[in-house]
Amino acid sequence: MITLNRSHVISAEFPDNETVRFNGIQDDHIYSMEITMDVRIADGEILAIDGKMKRYTNFVCPRAELILQSAVGVSLRKEGWDRLVMKEIGRKGCEHFAEIIIECGHCLDQARLSKALWQALEKDPAADQQAFVQNWINEHPENQLG
Amino acid sequence: MTVRFLRNKVVEVEPLPDGSLEVLWRLTDDLLKAEIILKVQPPDLEIVQAGAKLERLVPEAWQSAPELIKKVEGVRIGSGLRKIVQGLLGGENGCALLVHAVLECSNAVILNFTRPGVQMLEGLTDEEKLSLTREMLKTNPRLIRSCVAFQDDSPIMQGLEL
Repeated sequence: MITLNRSHVISAEFPDNETVRFNGIQDDHIYSMEITMDVRIADGEILAIDGKMKRYTNFVCPRAELILQSAVGVSLRKEGWDRLVMKEIGRKGCEHFAEIIIECGHCLDQARLSKALWQALEKDPAADQQAFVQNWINEHPENQLG
Repeated sequence: MTVRFLRNKVVEVEPLPDGSLEVLWRLTDDLLKAEIILKVQPPDLEIVQAGAKLERLVPEAWQSAPELIKKVEGVRIGSGLRKIVQGLLGGENGCALLVHAVLECSNAVILNFTRPGVQMLEGLTDEEKLSLTREMLKTNPRLIRSCVAFQDDSPIMQGLEL
């Protein structure tokens, strides 16, 4: 049988042209928690964040929800951003919250690319998707996909 | 509002009859479909077998993933793993997705061994849980200040001189 299963579900919506809103869920046999955060597309800065612990291992864990606010201002583009999130949110708060933020960060460029590809296919349903992806990666040197 | 991107990721640990652990990591989103399988051999948690399959719109730089992942065969899940995996699978000619996948698989193996201990606490009173947690901190000092529950101002830490 499976003795440990962990799932992450990350979604991205674009409330306006400057912002991407992530919702991230982590669920496994031990932990369950959720994060919503707004990120400025231009520089990857976290503008707002909120989190909820649903399943955890001891009565102190929910205090980590307050620590989440120290993620506001962190840029998901700055070198070493993931280590910073693990240090400031993970070690001072909860590493599972940090893992969700990091997973959302890993989806930043994928979400932008996905939106751009959708828009391209609206104009030309027969567009070469593989070529579009590679061109987009080449034309956006700030991306962390390659 | 509809979402413009949706990622589902799952990692599973399955103990096999030969005593090894099979770790299956899968990702599916609007652009990618990926599957990583690691076979991990206790007691030293050596990765004895590793495979990867990436499909859909795979960036050119990641297309060598099935060959690249073989580099982690022989690596042990333990201290220094992050640096070792980054060195083997990351960097300019590497694949960031594989780095994340292998580290997440390794984390799942550790959680797999953590789960029985967490479940054991469930039948205990709050006082018994607190007492056991404090004992655990004495024998695992690396946990001190590792999260909000083990910071100096946490009720769990009160009275402990660690």
